[in-house]
Amino acid sequence: MKARLAVCAVAWLYAGAAPAGDQLNVDGALDVRFLHATGDPSFLDGGLGTLRFDPDHEGLRLGRAFMAARLRLADTVTVHGVVDAYGDHDRNPADLSEFFADVRPYPTNSLRWRARIGAFHMPISLENRGPGWSDVYSITPSALNTWLGEEFRTIGAELEGRWLGASSGYFGDVALVAAAYAWNDPAGVLIAVRGFALTDRASTLFGGLGRPPITFYHEIDRKPGAYAGLTWRHHDRLEIRALRYDNRADPGASTQAGGGAWRTRFSSFGARVEPDAHWTLIAQYIDGDTTIGPDWAGEDQFVMTYHAAFALASFESGKERFTARFDRFGTHQSSGFYGPPSNQSGHAWTTSWSHDFDDHWQLVAEWIRVTSAFPPRVVLAGSSGSVGTQTQVAVRYRFQFGA
Amino acid sequence: MALAGASAGQAGELAVTVTDRVGAGVSEVVVIVTPLDARGPTPKQVSAVMDQRSLTFAPTVLVVSTGTIVDFPNNDSVSHQVYSFSPAKKFQLPLYKGVNHAPVTFEREGLVVLGCNIHDAMVGYIYVTDAPFFGKTDAAGTLRLPNLKEGDYRIRLWSPFVADNAETLTRNVHVDEHDTASSRVELSRGLRDQPEPRPRRKNWEY
Repeated sequence: MKARLAVCAVAWLYAGAAPAGDQLNVDGALDVRFLHATGDPSFLDGGLGTLRFDPDHEGLRLGRAFMAARLRLADTVTVHGVVDAYGDHDRNPADLSEFFADVRPYPTNSLRWRARIGAFHMPISLENRGPGWSDVYSITPSALNTWLGEEFRTIGAELEGRWLGASSGYFGDVALVAAAYAWNDPAGVLIAVRGFALTDRASTLFGGLGRPPITFYHEIDRKPGAYAGLTWRHHDRLEIRALRYDNRADPGASTQAGGGAWRTRFSSFGARVEPDAHWTLIAQYIDGDTTIGPDWAGEDQFVMTYHAAFALASFESGKERFTARFDRFGTHQSSGFYGPPSNQSGHAWTTSWSHDFDDHWQLVAEWIRVTSAFPPRVVLAGSSGSVGTQTQVAVRYRFQFGA
Repeated sequence: MALAGASAGQAGELAVTVTDRVGAGVSEVVVIVTPLDARGPTPKQVSAVMDQRSLTFAPTVLVVSTGTIVDFPNNDSVSHQVYSFSPAKKFQLPLYKGVNHAPVTFEREGLVVLGCNIHDAMVGYIYVTDAPFFGKTDAAGTLRLPNLKEGDYRIRLWSPFVADNAETLTRNVHVDEHDTASSRVELSRGLRDQPEPRPRRKNWEY
């Protein structure tokens, strides 16, 4: 009997094993940039600037080096890991930014289930669709998606049920997604102290952003968070996403080291249209609030609402891509005043051009201009308003290999 | 297309043309032709290929006779997981590139919708039929079936892109020997949109 069980187990493992040659796939890139910037010192260097680089960090810089690996454990089970290095003196020179298992059984009817377990980006950004959550339309994602990359990672489990329309004669599908997660209680701190920014410097799982570094992935109140979303894809041409996020944190909870839990909630909506083989149009919107301080604190409890939106148009032809984007964003503090209100109001223009020399080498030039007002800036710089620009030319070497 | 023939000398021809609402020919429409007054010849069981190129199934629509074995080579640079949960044929081809799996035999009549478990936008169709005569319309919207015996035939049309009711896509026609019988089907509804998948830059966009 034992022998038969052993034979069955071996047969099962063999049947489920991934075929040779498809077990490991690695995408990676090395991105080196030449920079020119004007405006305030970047928040990454302790300032209030809303761009990644500033006049003290011009010239030749490492943009990003990353490797995104997919290891196939079985035919329908894949483990994903993304390792990032930004060369900006983060706690770890190279760090994980995603690590999760993706389980995707074959559909047996028009409903297909998929689960992700681990640490990963939630399905909101319509810009970051490249390997390692990279932005395929320009270097720097919108203010909205910058913020998602900075403060949020789902560390938990996500379940998706997708209705596959093809079997019913419809060329599209509809997906419902829901997740439960922990270790995201600090989410909200950055937007409260700084407001929105435009950078391609996402956080890593064990690193921090700014000086002193703010870290984001802690569990403080032992209450899991949740989100639920809906995606509708019509052909290959239209994708609409909506998602409601609530980290369900107890804003009165804190650690002995002084870290607090931020109750952060938002609704996000987005649409991507690809009307022909060249054009891509994207719009996204987010609206929410964040709170810290016990609920009994009344007017002493810090409460802030925020919103951000952008519209993007991108034209692709052969080896060239041109992108233009307009961002608008703002925050409004409604209680918990201990100084100038953290009311940010701003907008940004971004234009970029990319050229693919071949499958490996790419040149990307990007120009951003951010205009914003932020009352706490009065203390540091004498006025609340500021204008920052950033021009960068990136040379990228991209590679893929498998085993 | 695989067709069973009648003996030469007594043969007629059937030409089926499908046009849209403005009179333009509609290609890739499956045409199934069944004799009404006699049992037709048994079609040969042959082999066919459903390729995978540029994240699409090629052809999008394949029509085969019952019992045909179909190869599913993957000529993309990325792996695919081909599956179908259609009642006519449920099967799965675990992750592969190139030619990695034995051909699949389609033993039952019916429509088999194909998908890729990794790339949801990939959709293909295999129409499996018991009929002795079948094919697909060409770029002009026409299918010619030579070597048909004189008699009455029933024509049925199918395409994933045709939205007309199935009843309006069925009609009878008489074929005389030494003559060409024509049947023209004008669709009353617009075709379902069938955008070509957007070409992606290698693997750099999912």
